[in-house]
Amino acid sequence: MRKSFDTLLHYLDVTGQEIKMAFMTMIEYPSNIAGWFISNPLQFIMGFAIIKFVVESFGEINGWNYGQLAFLYGLSVISHALSMIFFVQGWFMGWFVIEGDFDRYLTRPLGVLYQFFFTNINIFGITDLIPGVIVFIYGCAKSGVTVSFLFIVQVIIMLIGATFIRGGIYIFLGSTSFHTRSAVDFGQYTQEIMDKTTMYPMSMYPESMQFILTYLIPIGWVSFYPVSSLLGIDNGLSGGMTTAFITLAVGLLVMFLAGAFFNSGLKKYESAGN
Amino acid sequence: MKKYLYIIKTQIIKSMTYEFNVYGNIIMQTIIMITSAYFWRALYTGRSVVDGVDVGSMQTYIIISSALSVLLITNVERRIGSSVEKGSVATDMMKPINLFGMFLAEDIGSIIALIFQNMLPILLIGSLMIKLPVMADIRDLPMLVISVIESFLINWLIAALFGMMAFTTINNNALIQVKKHLIRLLSGSIIPIWFFPKSVSKVLSALPFVYIYQLPLSIYIGKGDRTEMIFQMRIQFIWLVILSALFFYAQSRITRKVMVQGG
Amino acid sequence: MIEVKNLSKDYTIKRKGAGLTGALKGLVIKNTDVVHAVKDLSFHLNEGEIVGFIGPNGAGKSTTIKMMSGILTPTRGSVLIGGEDITKHRKKVVRNIGVVFGQRTQLNWDLRLGETFELLKHIYRIEQSEYDKTLDVMDDILGIKELIDNPVRQMSLGQRVKGDLVASMLHSPKVLFLDEPTIGLDVSAKYSLRKFIKEINKVRKTTIVLTTHDLGDIQELCERLIIINHGVMMEDGNLKEITDRIAPYKTLVVEYYDEEAPMHDKCEMITHEGNVARYRFAKSDITAADIIADLSSKKSLKDVSIEEAGIDDIIKIAYGS
Repeated sequence: MRKSFDTLLHYLDVTGQEIKMAFMTMIEYPSNIAGWFISNPLQFIMGFAIIKFVVESFGEINGWNYGQLAFLYGLSVISHALSMIFFVQGWFMGWFVIEGDFDRYLTRPLGVLYQFFFTNINIFGITDLIPGVIVFIYGCAKSGVTVSFLFIVQVIIMLIGATFIRGGIYIFLGSTSFHTRSAVDFGQYTQEIMDKTTMYPMSMYPESMQFILTYLIPIGWVSFYPVSSLLGIDNGLSGGMTTAFITLAVGLLVMFLAGAFFNSGLKKYESAGN
Repeated sequence: MKKYLYIIKTQIIKSMTYEFNVYGNIIMQTIIMITSAYFWRALYTGRSVVDGVDVGSMQTYIIISSALSVLLITNVERRIGSSVEKGSVATDMMKPINLFGMFLAEDIGSIIALIFQNMLPILLIGSLMIKLPVMADIRDLPMLVISVIESFLINWLIAALFGMMAFTTINNNALIQVKKHLIRLLSGSIIPIWFFPKSVSKVLSALPFVYIYQLPLSIYIGKGDRTEMIFQMRIQFIWLVILSALFFYAQSRITRKVMVQGG
Repeated sequence: MIEVKNLSKDYTIKRKGAGLTGALKGLVIKNTDVVHAVKDLSFHLNEGEIVGFIGPNGAGKSTTIKMMSGILTPTRGSVLIGGEDITKHRKKVVRNIGVVFGQRTQLNWDLRLGETFELLKHIYRIEQSEYDKTLDVMDDILGIKELIDNPVRQMSLGQRVKGDLVASMLHSPKVLFLDEPTIGLDVSAKYSLRKFIKEINKVRKTTIVLTTHDLGDIQELCERLIIINHGVMMEDGNLKEITDRIAPYKTLVVEYYDEEAPMHDKCEMITHEGNVARYRFAKSDITAADIIADLSSKKSLKDVSIEEAGIDDIIKIAYGS
């Protein structure tokens, strides 16, 4: 117990240094900051406008009104942003595999996956977080939820779970490159699928697809089930903390399985050169 | 010309060797296409026609949009960016071949490979799993072919112009993302702009993006009458001219700048 | 210190046909070959040794050193460092090793050198006093403190290698792995790097394992050589012992007053250019003094010198077999 607490402190200490270095790197390239502050908010503001247009043309989407959709969209963008900060490197894992960049992580006395994500922590993900939070607050107002302490705790737990689910999926996809030995960037496709399935109510899709998205690739837990529970939309889900904890549990499970898949891939790692 | 054909051929072979990418891309694109098809089916529940388009045409629109997206993959912006970043741009431009011509040939080569590797499988899967995407009026075929060629060129020129911005800022990744989002959301590739409010769609009709995806797709599903299509093809052509002029202007400026400063 | 037992590594590689038809076939039919990069290597390294791995390109040196440092997982066999298996207890064992690979850097490209050191201080939990002490030692040998505030991307290759060496020594590892550390360096950078290796080996008793193509590195540094070819160990011993065993001859260089050079039946004339002839003889057959006496009885000699079989002869012989 004391030993694992000590290990935790060690990791937190290193993380602090990594974040400090990430900020220093960001400041080294001011033109990049400007670029990302335009690019990422633009994407989500346009994306949100399009949802509004669709609602105007088609009315409610599967019984979800505009306020509820804004709430769903906002929560989805926030977990997307968090996954961009901590896990986006998973999209580019193939390049690290081919270039032999895991050498460095393997010769240091910390977890390889931890080092992979945190030495490359993407502070620019904050530019996704800002529009996400704005839309989410707007959605809270429009959908008429009461923001209580319990509500905030639920949202935070759900967001951690949702971020883990996204991160786990990126790790899964990235780890395939240990086996294929090719650098494939499925990032754009992944995001497109995620957008379609987390920014609109999943109930609009056929039952078979809902089944897959609930049990096999649990994207449904990224935003649909949490939001249904928070807004009291009937899906047979109980309100309160239960859904929040299920979301977190699903996130941890996905992360655990992804980590195991990553570790099995790492055994096949071939470095570069030779 | 011969050397460009050689580059195209080399690029086709290069693209053919990444087998995992091929299968991975097909799987991902299939998931996206099927999700989109269900998405429209759900939106159309209880409605037969919205803005003059029925659900069947919308399904065709999705399948053809997925197939068309294969023709609109460019790498020129990243090639320029990395050439500038690595500082090899001056020596690259000294080569006895036009640098941008080379990038165009590479992109064409990749696309030819992708037609077989991605586009045909996608069309086949779409036909089997969603519906047979029949063209509304086969007599519009010449118009369709011309508009697709022009949309490829417009898309390529926009990519090249965004890539050239690497000469102004050091890192052009963010700009490439801006371009990607503009095309993704404003070209009608995912949601046609006729579903947008009238004022918004008017503004977007004046921009080049809708002439990349939406125009050829509209011709395919037969949205609007022929006079409207011809009118839109004229605007598409005007954009092609404007972007070409911008491209050649930017190219000459950059060449001069590189020759003077050595990158 | 290091115990390598039956270490082997196999790779599977895909075979691809040539041209467009080959590429097309590759999409459907998979041909794979198994390559045995390292075959059944066993050896033992003692504390404080400097061991050089040599062998031609593709011989399996890098693969071996990467398995020994925990980067690659062996197909068979094991590597024990300080009695513990590096594959099974990676996080614990790598505490005791430092790694520098000549072609790549562990330094953060965008920031000042000191920032990477700071990170390593946190990763290895190095006490401030210990950190300062190590840095002082490194400064004495390499003059690292004048580089510490420079951004890594503005450094020369030589400066970067210095930075990498210090980075790998901050946590005072017991073993240091160097994969072609002098590659691409100029003479003065090579000199300071070799000085560094000798110095830390002497002062800290660090065991040093290095691969190199540079004969100077071997001559100046390595007490022990392991020659690998085709993934198999060819030779293991010190330079002199290997030389005596596989190249037990010397070369006598004789300069005459004209272009005519006599032969000698106990030795072989290997070159004859202008007035200079080179004779190779086995140490067991005849002494240099006897040859000189015999030759001078036939013709008058202007100048004479004797060359020992060098490291390049050994490598030629070892690689050739």
